[in-house]
Amino acid sequence: MSSKYRSPAMDRRSFVKIISSALGSLMAAVVGLPAIQYFISPSLGKEEEDEWISLGPLENYPLDTPTQFNFSLNKVNGWEKSSHSYGVFVLREEGKGVVVYSDVCTHLSCRLNWIPEEEEYLCPCHAARFDKHGNLISGPPPRPMDRFETKLDEGQLFIHLKEG
Amino acid sequence: MKEEQKKAYKRKYEQAKRKGVKFWPDIIYKDLLVSFGIFILLVGLAAFVGVAVEPKADPSDASYVPRPEWYFLFLFEFLKFVPGKIEWIGTFVLPVLVILVLFALPFLDRNPLRHWKNRLTGISIMGVVVLGMVGLTVRSVLTTPKKEEAVASTIQEKYALGEDLYSVNCVECHGPDGEGGVIAGVEGLEGVDLKSISSRDEIYTRSDETLAAIIDYGQQDQGMPPFGLAYGGELKKSEIDALVMYMRYTWDDRVELPSDAASAGAIPELSAEEIPSYEVHISRLAKRYCISCHRPGKENNNYLMGSYQEMLTSGDNADHNLIPGDLDSYLILAINGQSILDENGEEIIQRMPPTKMMKEEYIHIFEVWVLNGMPETASDAEALTVQGQE
Amino acid sequence: MAQNVYDWLDERLGLQAIYDAILDREVPKVNWWFTLGSASLFLGLMQGITGILLSVYYVPTPDHAYDSITYIMTGVKFGWLILGIHHWGASLLILTAFIHMLRVFFYGAYKYPREVTWITGVMLLIGALGMGFTGYLLPWNQRSYWATTVGTEIAGSVPGIGNIILRILRGGTDLSALTLSRFFSLHIWIFPAILLAVVLTHLYLVIRLGISNIPDEDS
Repeated sequence: MSSKYRSPAMDRRSFVKIISSALGSLMAAVVGLPAIQYFISPSLGKEEEDEWISLGPLENYPLDTPTQFNFSLNKVNGWEKSSHSYGVFVLREEGKGVVVYSDVCTHLSCRLNWIPEEEEYLCPCHAARFDKHGNLISGPPPRPMDRFETKLDEGQLFIHLKEG
Repeated sequence: MKEEQKKAYKRKYEQAKRKGVKFWPDIIYKDLLVSFGIFILLVGLAAFVGVAVEPKADPSDASYVPRPEWYFLFLFEFLKFVPGKIEWIGTFVLPVLVILVLFALPFLDRNPLRHWKNRLTGISIMGVVVLGMVGLTVRSVLTTPKKEEAVASTIQEKYALGEDLYSVNCVECHGPDGEGGVIAGVEGLEGVDLKSISSRDEIYTRSDETLAAIIDYGQQDQGMPPFGLAYGGELKKSEIDALVMYMRYTWDDRVELPSDAASAGAIPELSAEEIPSYEVHISRLAKRYCISCHRPGKENNNYLMGSYQEMLTSGDNADHNLIPGDLDSYLILAINGQSILDENGEEIIQRMPPTKMMKEEYIHIFEVWVLNGMPETASDAEALTVQGQE
Repeated sequence: MAQNVYDWLDERLGLQAIYDAILDREVPKVNWWFTLGSASLFLGLMQGITGILLSVYYVPTPDHAYDSITYIMTGVKFGWLILGIHHWGASLLILTAFIHMLRVFFYGAYKYPREVTWITGVMLLIGALGMGFTGYLLPWNQRSYWATTVGTEIAGSVPGIGNIILRILRGGTDLSALTLSRFFSLHIWIFPAILLAVVLTHLYLVIRLGISNIPDEDS
């Protein structure tokens, strides 16, 4: 078989070189490309559907004072089923409608508490303070408290829960 | 090896090298082709054969037939031929010896000659060993009991198993339809008033996991004993699953049992004149009540009930188990709740099934079968029926 | 340009010397059976690559091992490929290594001067079997659980010290979470580390002593 490759255009050595690199690259590709997808697979999944979470009838929330509402959602990550708890403050004001604030501090994600006596939110981690409408009074957070998009459906209050 | 032999070898090797080739590209080229072939094979196996799906490890399910990876099968099979008392020779001494011989081979074999014609002894020993390993592996594969006959796998088998487990374990308190009521004749729970477990309220609100957990762990405060093997009960995980499936399909009107499953699992009723056959009746009864213990690897006086042949001929008491026309056959006595004693008065067979007797109509099927000489197929049995009428 | 880069690197790394020593050496003419050693090496490499990839998702605890494997098979893109190659590669590796050993035996290649090559080869075969045995438990399914129960029981049947061996293998008297985590450690750290060292020795010797030649009748 060697005579076949003795032509000056392509000697045996370069022929083998080409075959070797071709087969080698093919194998590397067949494993390598799937491997990359395999590694990044969890991040490729469709973004979870945004969800509207019911917070119950609007009348249940007293006027002019933030009311805490906690709920948990079950999530599946890989093989792990976990339950995440969320907390929101619902502030209903006469004539101004309703605003729902996240209880997550915009600084480092600690959970805020409503201090009724001082009419302020207090962050237990770095003592940040927000007023009733979520505006920063003092402390390190970079922005006011986050708000949820809300909607009313037959008297029921819903918030739009976005992932992330 | 003497110095001149070493020199002679080196000379030969140099000659071979001179007549030889370059490692790159000649050797690498061949290696690469073979490796590439193997690679194709690997990807093909991964894509078209895949990795078998197995149930999760269940320490309470001892019915599983353990099999090692195929390359250990020969050793596994070999141990069958080693008597229990000296098992350690097979499990330890021999493997260690083989490994030591392998390690020491260059020093044990001091023959300077290399061609196989000059090393017939060594080659034949190795040949016998390898053939033996291959033979044992093949034998092991052939003798592995088929999984299907050991565990219920299809929906109908599971449903039938669940139905049966329900009748054995649950009916005495919960009633045949889960209706509950006042318990009578159950030790420790006499007079307890149970609510229904089959009502919509109950079956709609309890998930399969909840039901399985209740059966597994029990509800001690309400008198429900644990049935899980791990908690002192007698049911394996797979059995609890079957039970839950039976309850779900029977009582929950939101789900419907696949139609073929509903009929296939049932044991056919025997009409007045009919003679039962192994094929139609006995095999199903045996599968439901007997086979879990009467299969290889269990303590059962070596009596296997996996096939017609096995039922008639296997076991320590093969001569007495089934005697045509004789209702004193051991099997008939045992399923009627009698234990069999040997001449010294020692029990050799306990009543069967040990936990709870079969329904009377099932015992009747066995009796009619034995009285008519234990026909195998439905046509055999039919022939007998016809004769009987003449 | 490429030549310049090569020359620059060669001057510092000695690439030409490596090339001459490993690739450009003369070896005897051999047949196709002689490819099984490198086939085993190739399969070993594949096992290493796919094994490392599997460790991205696999969790060695009784609670999660089975679920994480199921997730790899069904939830991860190409998980079936990675796990499938690892699963089948293990079997093929044992097969090629074993036939490779038979080839070496048949041609008397374990004799002078390749005794040590043979010994390291036997170590590699045993190591591969050890990898097979420990890897078999990791999916934590019925098959692996009961096979390992019996396998460790077999090791425990040695008179006198059997019980201790059994407890060392299992990390206690029962097959438990401890067994799983030590098998995992053996499978991904301890055996591979030892095997890597032995493989390198084996390869060094193969290169140093050259591929054995096919013996003729008067040798």
